[in-house]
Amino acid sequence: MGTSNYKVECIISNKSSIRDPEGETILRDLVMRRGYENVKGIRTAKLLQLEVSAPNKESAEKLVMKMCDDLRIYNPVVSICQIRISGN
Amino acid sequence: MKVAIIRFPGTNCDFDAYHVLKNVLHLPSDLIWHEEVDLRKYDGVILPGGFSYGDHLRAGIIAAHSPAMTQVKKAAEEGKPILGICNGFQILAESELLPGALLRNAGLRFVCKWVNLRVDSTSTFFTSGLKKGTLLRMPIAHGEGRYFLGESEIKNLERKGQIVFRYVDEKGNTTENSNPNGSLFNIAGVSNEKGNVVGLMPHPERASEKILSPFGSSDGLAVLGAFAKTVEVMARK
Amino acid sequence: MSQLEMLGLSLTESERAAIRRRLGREANALELSMIDVEWSEHCSYKSSKHLLKLLPTKGERVLLGPGYDAGVLDIGDGDIVTLHIESHNHPSAIDPYGGAATGVGGILRDILSLGTRPIALLDSLRFGRMDRSPNSKWLFQHVIRGIADYGNCTGVPTVGGEVDFDSSFERNCLVDVVCLGIGKKEDIVLAVAKNPGDSVVLVGGSTGRDGIHGTTFASRDLSGKDSEDRSAVQIPDPFTKKQIIEATIEAVKTGYVAGLKDLGAGGIACGVSEMAYAGNTGVDIELSNVHLRETNMQSHEIMISESQERMVFVIKKGREEAIGKIFKKYGLLYSIIGKVTDTKRMIVRQNGKVVADLPVEVLVRAEPAPRDVKKPKYIDELGKVETPEPKESLDLIMMKMLSSPNLASKRWVYQQYDHEVGARTAVKPGHAGASVLRITDEKFLATKVDGNPKHCYLDPYNGTAGILAEACRNIIAVGAEPIAMVDHLQFGNPGNPEVYWTFSESVRGFADYCNKFKLPCVGGKVSFYNEDVQTHAAIKPTPLAAVLGLIEKADYVRNAIPSEDNVILQIGETKSELGCSEYQNQIFGTVGGRVPKLDFAAEKASQRTVSEGIRIGLISSVNDCSSGGLLIAVAEMCMLSGLGSTIDIAKCPSSAKRWDEIAFSESHSRFVITTSKANSPRIAELASKNGAKCTEIGTFKGKIFDVVYANKKLASLSVEKMKHEWETAIPRLMGDAK
Repeated sequence: MGTSNYKVECIISNKSSIRDPEGETILRDLVMRRGYENVKGIRTAKLLQLEVSAPNKESAEKLVMKMCDDLRIYNPVVSICQIRISGN
Repeated sequence: MKVAIIRFPGTNCDFDAYHVLKNVLHLPSDLIWHEEVDLRKYDGVILPGGFSYGDHLRAGIIAAHSPAMTQVKKAAEEGKPILGICNGFQILAESELLPGALLRNAGLRFVCKWVNLRVDSTSTFFTSGLKKGTLLRMPIAHGEGRYFLGESEIKNLERKGQIVFRYVDEKGNTTENSNPNGSLFNIAGVSNEKGNVVGLMPHPERASEKILSPFGSSDGLAVLGAFAKTVEVMARK
Repeated sequence: MSQLEMLGLSLTESERAAIRRRLGREANALELSMIDVEWSEHCSYKSSKHLLKLLPTKGERVLLGPGYDAGVLDIGDGDIVTLHIESHNHPSAIDPYGGAATGVGGILRDILSLGTRPIALLDSLRFGRMDRSPNSKWLFQHVIRGIADYGNCTGVPTVGGEVDFDSSFERNCLVDVVCLGIGKKEDIVLAVAKNPGDSVVLVGGSTGRDGIHGTTFASRDLSGKDSEDRSAVQIPDPFTKKQIIEATIEAVKTGYVAGLKDLGAGGIACGVSEMAYAGNTGVDIELSNVHLRETNMQSHEIMISESQERMVFVIKKGREEAIGKIFKKYGLLYSIIGKVTDTKRMIVRQNGKVVADLPVEVLVRAEPAPRDVKKPKYIDELGKVETPEPKESLDLIMMKMLSSPNLASKRWVYQQYDHEVGARTAVKPGHAGASVLRITDEKFLATKVDGNPKHCYLDPYNGTAGILAEACRNIIAVGAEPIAMVDHLQFGNPGNPEVYWTFSESVRGFADYCNKFKLPCVGGKVSFYNEDVQTHAAIKPTPLAAVLGLIEKADYVRNAIPSEDNVILQIGETKSELGCSEYQNQIFGTVGGRVPKLDFAAEKASQRTVSEGIRIGLISSVNDCSSGGLLIAVAEMCMLSGLGSTIDIAKCPSSAKRWDEIAFSESHSRFVITTSKANSPRIAELASKNGAKCTEIGTFKGKIFDVVYANKKLASLSVEKMKHEWETAIPRLMGDAK
């Protein structure tokens, strides 16, 4: 069985129970102030785009998740890390 | 004759600029909250450093949308001298009053240290009395100061004498080691075409008194002093 | 699980009995949670209060001492200075960025609580050894970034501090912050609620579940309920803090603010009840008025939440609107949550219904916790250890020491801090032991924080008195006179009699120094339960001293940078005291032996000599001679100036036998000073008048660091090479340099 290259995204953001002062400021002082009142919430995140060689999508996702955990790419105390395949 | 120092939420070098204008240069000035700005009665404007709106999204971008900046644009068109220091430079760039963008430092860390600057253009209101090639010592303190601009535009800038300050070594050469943040061509400060709007990352207001300088220098006064002279001239008009 | 267990209370059985006795009834769950945070070690000082009474707190410049959010000093002309120290050890160990940042946030609020503007921060940081542990490196990097981002964004310069690496901090790093504030005497506001009828107003961040039980968390070791404790993480928001600073200063100027306190540990429960206790009043709080961030919050969660960026204002009756306008200008949320009453009770309502009703006195006054003491066995055993004779050349030893992270240049750290904002920093980090801040053209403040767990481990009494002496020497070295100190006492579990013995010795060390030198202690902190999660070994005892000095003339300001042809003098005597020195640690890896003892009379003589020498204008630059000993002190001056030096260490005032003792002993009461050749004899006279030992030992010149012992050349090193090693040691460890 061969391997293929996958584009994997990992999105690191604060846990939903934890504040995001940056998102709050952008919403309050920029977006709402300039009249975009239908925007009700903003949360910021950090996006990493990776290219991964793996036998299938599932193992590509698994590999990236393991890497993020091992290398403390996010701090599990504060943040969550979502993994998704964006293409191959 | 009066200078407006504009305060945004998160501005934190406002009092320092005010102190130097008032106590060192004896230039009358007011600290003005960004929502209460009326620049008609002022002859010059300083946008001081700091972290307006916490530097959220991008340094300077949220302040660039403040109603105060509409007035600053007008004052710029009228030819009044406008100086952006550090975050003030970032705001001027985000408002498109100055060309270019200030990106995260190449070393990815905030850097606070004294640097050598070379004056590369004397056709601005802030460098008019100086000789080309003059070296000035000032501190920098920023995390997003890497100057960037497209290649063809930068040539234009060079040609029109809009590159005002460069980071250099003690001998005045632009070297990699003397570039503290990875700025393109060691650029530390630029002006608009008319030369009345200048932005720079280093802090002249922190380098205007001997007691605060590790070298016993006060080179910041070269820039702020030229500004003060221009303001006097403007006020007389 | 019962409801009470779910609250995760730390109250002991006997404390529960005391509550029952003092109330005459069972407390309900909300009341117990409130008492639980207020009676935690962190808020109540129940294990330490009786010992802390040994510290003198009065002095001619002291306006307010311990018991307030910060000490207050009078520096003349109506100007006041506030000073405080805080730690954020446990939060930083699990979330170094947020923990360190919110630690800075906390102390800024303490300074602000007196109505003064924060003007400078210092940090004292301790981690495990970076060469041995990736975790220590991770903690170090993110703690520095947390401090930098917070201080830089709020516009308060971080002007100094210290960083130390020792394996006892591997899983329990210490993150301490010192802050100075300035203001006008007439604007001081206290944390009191004096006048019934005044409004209690909560300002700033909305209240969420952050840091629930953070206080009891800080008062418990890091083991055990790991996953639950993680809810104690706090999110830093320096931008909001900056707005709070500006709004508070503006509000205080109106004269309508009757009381002010920051909400930190213990949240509304602690903050408000302490203000009522101080004012001999009561308060009536309505929880439904508190602006919340999360839904379905329980009453106890609202009361003890440690959400960041909150202050409590007591506003004069009828002035709520005027002050509210200021909060609005700065985009701050606020809510009027209650009234000051004359009942001496803390009454909490939820939609009008009383849910807690406690005498303020019960809440605020914890039961004292008596502790046993026992001298640890290891102290006498380690005291017998001898330091081996050196086998390597001094050139090699010097290079090894300069590249050890403890002695290496900390530029990598302070370059990430904006240490210039405020246009006050006259002596900058790296240029001297202490930092100097300009207040007016002729008035300056000097400040320094010091610790030495290596010494305190073997001799907590001398180690503690010694760090205070060292901090004062640093203050004197920049031309200032010490006017006050604050202390921070960090130890393991106070229930362990050996830990408690080191604690009590430490307090005695501070008290003796303060009494002999008439130096008032104007505040401080105690942090217990600092121990390794896995081994339960306590950290090395880590008392810290932060000292404030005053310089009354610009001419007196000095740094440690010599000029060419300056002659070098050592003031004070070197003894055979290599025990627990950096030399012993770096070169032999041994621990033990004779730790430096503090001779109060010799200390006074040396300090007086330097202080007078600066004032007469005889002394041009000064370095305190401590960590790393004489040669490190001289080498630092070489590397700062780029100058070489030639010294003969046989000339040093010394009772030591071995040359390496003269070179590296960390004996107290010593300075390295410079002067002109012509003035050298006048300094010797001055020293002899004061009873201090003093000899000329060499000159700064050329580009080579030369050390001679009698007629034997011990070292000859290029200063440029030394400097490179010294400056790149930490960047190399952090992957920023080769």
